[in-house]
Amino acid sequence: MLVLGLVLLPIIAGALFFALPDASNGRTSKLLGALVGLVTVVMTIGGANQEWAFRWLARPFTASFHFADSGISFWIALLLALCTTCAILATNLPRQRSFIALMLMLEGAMMGVFLARDLLAFALFWDLMLIPVFFVLISWGEHAGTAWRYFIYNFAGGLTLLLATAAFGVLYGSTDVIGHGNVHLVGAWVPWIFAGFAFAFLVKTPVWPLHTWMPITYSDTPAPMVAVVSAVQSKAGLYGLIVIGMAFMPDYVKEYAPIFVILGVISLLYGAFTALVQNDTKRIVAYSSLSHLGLIVLAIVSFNPLALQGAVVYIIAHGLFSAALFLTIGYVEEREETRSLVRLGGLGAANPRLAGALCIAALAALGLPGLAGFVGEIVILTGIFQAGMVWPAIVALIPIVLAAAYMLRLFQGMMNGPEVADLPVRRDLTWIEGIALAPLLLALVLVGVNPHAITSFDPSLYGTSVTTQGGAR
Amino acid sequence: MNITVTNADWAAIAPLSIVAATALVVLFTDLLARTHVKRYIAIVLGLVGVVVSAVVCAQGYGHDYAAFGGGFVLGGFSVVFQEIILLAAFGSIALYGAIGKEERIAGAVALMLWSTSGAMLMAGAANLMTVFLGLELLSLALYCLCGLADRPTSRESALKYLILSSTASGFLLYGMALLFGASGSVSFAQFTNAALASNPLFWMGTALFLIGLAFKLSLVPFHTWSPDVYEGAPMPVTAFMSVATKAGTLAVFARFIYAALPSGIAEKLLLPVWIIAGISMIVGNVGMLAQHDLKRLLAYSGIAQVGYILTALAGATPLGMRYAIYYLAAYTFMNLGAFAIAALLSTDAEEGSRLTNYRGLGHRRPIVAALMSLFLLALAGLPPTAGFLGKILILSTSVNAGYAWLGVLLIIGTAISLYAYAKVIRVMYDRDEHIHPHDAKPFVPLAWVSAVACGVLVVVITFYPLTPSNVLPLVK
Repeated sequence: MLVLGLVLLPIIAGALFFALPDASNGRTSKLLGALVGLVTVVMTIGGANQEWAFRWLARPFTASFHFADSGISFWIALLLALCTTCAILATNLPRQRSFIALMLMLEGAMMGVFLARDLLAFALFWDLMLIPVFFVLISWGEHAGTAWRYFIYNFAGGLTLLLATAAFGVLYGSTDVIGHGNVHLVGAWVPWIFAGFAFAFLVKTPVWPLHTWMPITYSDTPAPMVAVVSAVQSKAGLYGLIVIGMAFMPDYVKEYAPIFVILGVISLLYGAFTALVQNDTKRIVAYSSLSHLGLIVLAIVSFNPLALQGAVVYIIAHGLFSAALFLTIGYVEEREETRSLVRLGGLGAANPRLAGALCIAALAALGLPGLAGFVGEIVILTGIFQAGMVWPAIVALIPIVLAAAYMLRLFQGMMNGPEVADLPVRRDLTWIEGIALAPLLLALVLVGVNPHAITSFDPSLYGTSVTTQGGAR
Repeated sequence: MNITVTNADWAAIAPLSIVAATALVVLFTDLLARTHVKRYIAIVLGLVGVVVSAVVCAQGYGHDYAAFGGGFVLGGFSVVFQEIILLAAFGSIALYGAIGKEERIAGAVALMLWSTSGAMLMAGAANLMTVFLGLELLSLALYCLCGLADRPTSRESALKYLILSSTASGFLLYGMALLFGASGSVSFAQFTNAALASNPLFWMGTALFLIGLAFKLSLVPFHTWSPDVYEGAPMPVTAFMSVATKAGTLAVFARFIYAALPSGIAEKLLLPVWIIAGISMIVGNVGMLAQHDLKRLLAYSGIAQVGYILTALAGATPLGMRYAIYYLAAYTFMNLGAFAIAALLSTDAEEGSRLTNYRGLGHRRPIVAALMSLFLLALAGLPPTAGFLGKILILSTSVNAGYAWLGVLLIIGTAISLYAYAKVIRVMYDRDEHIHPHDAKPFVPLAWVSAVACGVLVVVITFYPLTPSNVLPLVK
């Protein structure tokens, strides 16, 4: 029941938020929302390794509302609950009540995606998680076109996912399969089914050339929501690739691995080089995400247990530091009414706490040893190398060096240098804003020094035991 | 053939007789009632008649019986379709109560009830005579209903519907004549004779018969009437047409393709039908993109939605029938719900049909806007609504029956439609709050109840997907 509650509580709480009187805008709804978020954090930990299932369909294939809070799902759910709580605490927007209601609904929908053990439920929540973001984009976004770009791209992916799920169900007879190690699809249809899933996952991640919705979405969405979207929603594609693609169709993943490798490498390089020249701080982080997630795609399709473990650690790490980065940038934007590096500068002297927070997040993003990002990167690189993909491993080093360049450029552009005269002078981080960031930064250190807890899942469930030599081409 | 009519035969058509009789009662009480209560009496009587009929109708579930020598077949299939039609009638009469004109309300309710009984007759019709009787009863009442509003477009709507629908009836009748000529019988049960498979008359007859039905279902290329007729007709009538006409015609269509074709030729004979279903999904959804009127939007949406339902029927599998019924029920809820919201925002002038009036609705009337968003998301096939589950059931049955290409067209059509539905949502939640159109009515109880009930049902049947198992066989 606790697991079901994880999905339902935020959605119901979100719906109830709309019923709150308008007078309770602002701080009350923020604290109430954060309280709900905190409850989901506790529930995620308390409900570890619990399951809940309810039969949904008996025909044309069996499907259940089956959720489990275990393995990779547990860590991503924890990340989600944590990020949502922090992001809600950091929210400071007009029509706050409605925004927080949508944040909670987004959390519930994404809980559904990551905890689902049934493909049909996965598909349902996959589409559901796009709706709150769409609503936020049309009500709070900066440009009308962004909502469309986001909506059309992601729902196109959602629809191919739906068709693939239906075909999967018909072929296999059941969709209650996620987490089962012994489901292998064969037949003439399977490449098409795989293509349907893969398209959805690659759009969602995203990888080049399907990424064009991403930078504008990330820069237009208010910071608290983009923190959750980039930290967790973008992981849905990678998560799907691991628990669906790798687990059920390893032969096809392997067959098409070169395509994934090429797209991953292009994303890596393209993201990193673009991040280097952007002036919009949100876009720098957006393009850096493109680059980092490209690395994870590379890790997943290398079919190496070590790389897969690294990928999962990096999924968590990237979630933590991108959420922290977006929240900090949100704070700066709120204070200085701009997020352009051309306008910003010299904020560090007057805002030491803000500068410190951004510094930790940026250092984690560029892979400083001791923080979470480093562990992920080093394990992934070792794994890819072990799998025999020497050249991709070497190429992947370039963006890691570049990461240092663009992250330091981001930090210095905002915090260092002479103070800019015409920037408004505002107070440093308030305690509530600090509390919103602290758990993320603390978690970065914890994961950095002790990643073993996260890697304790069984990589052989996800096709990697089939061969550790895979990808040696 | 001699037909002895027994009491059981009369009992079989009791639900639709009740509806037709209620219409008479409504008209007579209208003569006697005082002016200021006329409206309430007509609406309440109409609703009571529909509910009684629905209760009586439900008793028939599980009793297979061929009444009137096989002309009307009572069974799970007819009961389910009749209940859906009654649901549409209930919702539409409730909407009439919300926005209809005082002096015409009794007539409108009576006509709507007769139209309902015609559609209900089609739901059980198992020979050509009954089909035509039901169809004409349905249509004749609708011609009058379409012209009831005080607008030139309403008269245009009635005339257009009359002329085009009569043409379609001509096709239908000609097809029936050929079918009769080929088989020597008007009964669906006789059409399964294997000798007919090679008879060109039978092929011609089937083609013309299906063209007639395709017109009523507004499938491409016989769809051009529906946006104009929907736009001009009074809103409750549009709501009724968009569900009841389609349900009645789909019942005939399904019975025909499942039970009235010689074995072995169905796949070849019906291929054009599936092709136009596929084209309808694309054209209907593309047509939605340019609309600025909710009724026109929903007309094009309906063209595509019928395509989805036909996709479920492709291959004529038993499961496909159940999912078609599921989707039809879901479509009924979401469509009626959308019309109920539009009625909530309307007076006689039907402000609720112009999409510009929805601008900023989300800020002025959050609950109304949220419900409308739910119905639009359902029509688009997004969770957490029955539209989502319906689509996945249809997709899986189309893959199963070997019509995966229809599933792919469905996906493409849905992708196109997303933009059209989401555009309305965007307008409602637009940040531009400068325009404050007057919302006609703050509170209309019946329309509210319909909207909320549809909203709840559209979500609930996603998680408890009840599909009727007792719908075959279709002819005796």
